[in-house]
Amino acid sequence: MSARVLRLLLVAIAALITPPAVAEELVLALSTREVAITSTYTGAEITVFGAIERDASTLTRTGTYDIVANVQGPAGEIVIQRKGKFGPIWLTDNRRRYAKIPLFFSTLTARPLANVVDENTRERLKLGLEYYLPGNANPQGEKDIEEFAFRNALLRLRREEGGLIEDDKAVTMIRPNLFTAKISLPAKAPTGLYLINLSILSEGVPLKTAQAGFVVRKVGFDAFVANAARFDAWIYALFTVIMAVLLGWVANVVFRKD
Amino acid sequence: MQLYLPIAELPLNLFLLLGMGGAIGFISGMFGVGGGFLLTPLLIFVGVPAPVAVATSSVHIAASSVTGALNYWRRNALDVKLGSVLVSGGLVGTVLGVIFFNQMRRLGHLDLVITLSYVTLLMSVGCLMFVESIGAMIDTRRGRSVALRSPGEHRWYERLPFPMRFHRSKMSTSVIPLIALGVVIGFIGTVLGIGGGFLVVPALIYLFRVPTSVVVGTSLFQILVTMLVATFLHATVSQAVDVLLALTLVVGGVIGAQFGARAGQGLRGEHFRLLLALLILLVGIRFAFDIIADPNDRYSINATELER
Repeated sequence: MSARVLRLLLVAIAALITPPAVAEELVLALSTREVAITSTYTGAEITVFGAIERDASTLTRTGTYDIVANVQGPAGEIVIQRKGKFGPIWLTDNRRRYAKIPLFFSTLTARPLANVVDENTRERLKLGLEYYLPGNANPQGEKDIEEFAFRNALLRLRREEGGLIEDDKAVTMIRPNLFTAKISLPAKAPTGLYLINLSILSEGVPLKTAQAGFVVRKVGFDAFVANAARFDAWIYALFTVIMAVLLGWVANVVFRKD
Repeated sequence: MQLYLPIAELPLNLFLLLGMGGAIGFISGMFGVGGGFLLTPLLIFVGVPAPVAVATSSVHIAASSVTGALNYWRRNALDVKLGSVLVSGGLVGTVLGVIFFNQMRRLGHLDLVITLSYVTLLMSVGCLMFVESIGAMIDTRRGRSVALRSPGEHRWYERLPFPMRFHRSKMSTSVIPLIALGVVIGFIGTVLGIGGGFLVVPALIYLFRVPTSVVVGTSLFQILVTMLVATFLHATVSQAVDVLLALTLVVGGVIGAQFGARAGQGLRGEHFRLLLALLILLVGIRFAFDIIADPNDRYSINATELER
C-alpha cells in the first residue's frame, strides 16, 4: 500500500469519527449508583445531575432546552384479568399475560410532555408511558379493541400502583445549561438494573440523548433471607417450621397461669 | 414503624402486622379454627402478593395452634388419638387436593371452583350451625335438657368395621368415617388454601357428638400437623414463605391465642356454636358479596413477577 493511499484513508476515517460540531454535548452524573434495600427501606430518591455543554461552533438556539428522562426498571411479567358476568355472579372471564415489560417505568420532565414534543416525535422516540408497551395504540378490529382495553387497563392499574409514573415537575433547570431530575422509587420497587435514557430537546426537536444506570438490590439481613429462601430452601423451610413450634411453645410457657 | 419484608418485597407497618396477628390468634384460640380463611384475605388486602400471603399464613396458623393445642392438652381437653386418626386421613386428602388443584388449573376452572365451593361451604355450614345453636339455646331456656349425644346409641357410620374407643372424647366409633372426614378436610383445605378448622369443629360436634371442650383442642392438633406440613411444602416448592412477615404475625398471634383460648373455655356449648356460626356466616357473606356485587373495576392485576 503506498503512503499516499494510506494518508487518504486516514483522512477519510478522521472525517468519519469527528462529529460535525453543531450539536450540544450532554454530561450526566447520579447521586448514587446503588439503592440498598434494608429493613427500613420505604422508597428512595435518586437525583440525576446534568450539564449541557456547548462550544463556539454550536448553533445558537432561540428557545430554552427541554429535558425528557425515561427511567426503565427490570423487566418482568404482569397478568391482567377481567371479570365477566356468568348468570348472577362475577368471575374471571379473560386474562392477558404481558411478558418482559418493565416493572417500573417513569417519564420525568419540567413541564407536561404534550407541551414539549408533538405526537409523532413521542412515538418515534418512545417518550411517555403509552409507548413503553408493545402493541397497537390504534385499535381496528374487534380483537384489536379487546387488546386495546386490556392495554389501557394495564397502564391505568400500574399507574395506580405506582409502577408507572409521569412526573412533569421532576426536572428542574438550575441554569440554562444545568439541570437536575429527581427519580422517586416506590416502596414496591423491583430489584435489578434501572436504565435512564435522557434526551435534550429544543422547540420539540431532539438534540442529544445520554444514558446512565443504577442498581436496586437487597443488602444485609434482607439479602440474607431472600438468598436463603431461594438457594437453601430446605434449611429455610426447616427453620420456619421450628420457629413456628418454638414461638408457640414459648408463648404458652410465658402465659401459663397454673 | 415501617418494616421491609424481604420475600413479600414491600414495607408494612410493624404494629399493623402485630395487631392483625393478635386478632386472628384470638379467634383461632377461641374457636379452634386456624384462622387462615381470615388471615390470607387480610394480608392480600394490605398488599402482600397472594402466594406469599397463603404460604406465610400457614406459619402463623401453625404457631397459634401449637400454643392453643398445648393449652388444651394441659387441661386434658385434647384427644391425641382422635387427632392422629384425622391427621392420617388428612395427609391423603392433601395429596389428592394438590393433584386436583393442578388439574383444575390446567383446565382453567380453578377460579370458578374455588369461589363457588368457598361460598357454598361457608354459607351452608354457617346456616346449619346457626339454626341448631339457636334451637339449643331456646331449649335450654325452656328447661329442656340438651343432649347432643345419648350414650350407647350409634349411628350407621359409627357401626362400620374397625371400631376404636376414644376415652378422652367419650365415644367409640369405626375409624372409617373419621379417616374419610380427614381426607375430605385435607382435600378441601389444600384446594381452598385453608386449615379446615371451621369444618372439623362442626363435624366432630354434630357427626360424632364429641364434647365441645375436647373438639377445639383436637381440631387445633389436627390443624397444627397439617399446617407444619403445608409450611414445609410452601417453603420448598413455591418459596413464598416470608420469615420476617411470619415472625411478626406469629408474635402477635401467639399472644392473641392465649386470650382466645381462655375466652373460649368460659363459653357455654351452644353460645360457642352460635358465635362460630356467626363468624363463618359473616365470612361467607363477604365472599358471596364479592362475586354478586358489580365490581368497581372489571380489570385487576393478578400478578407481577420479576424474571429471574
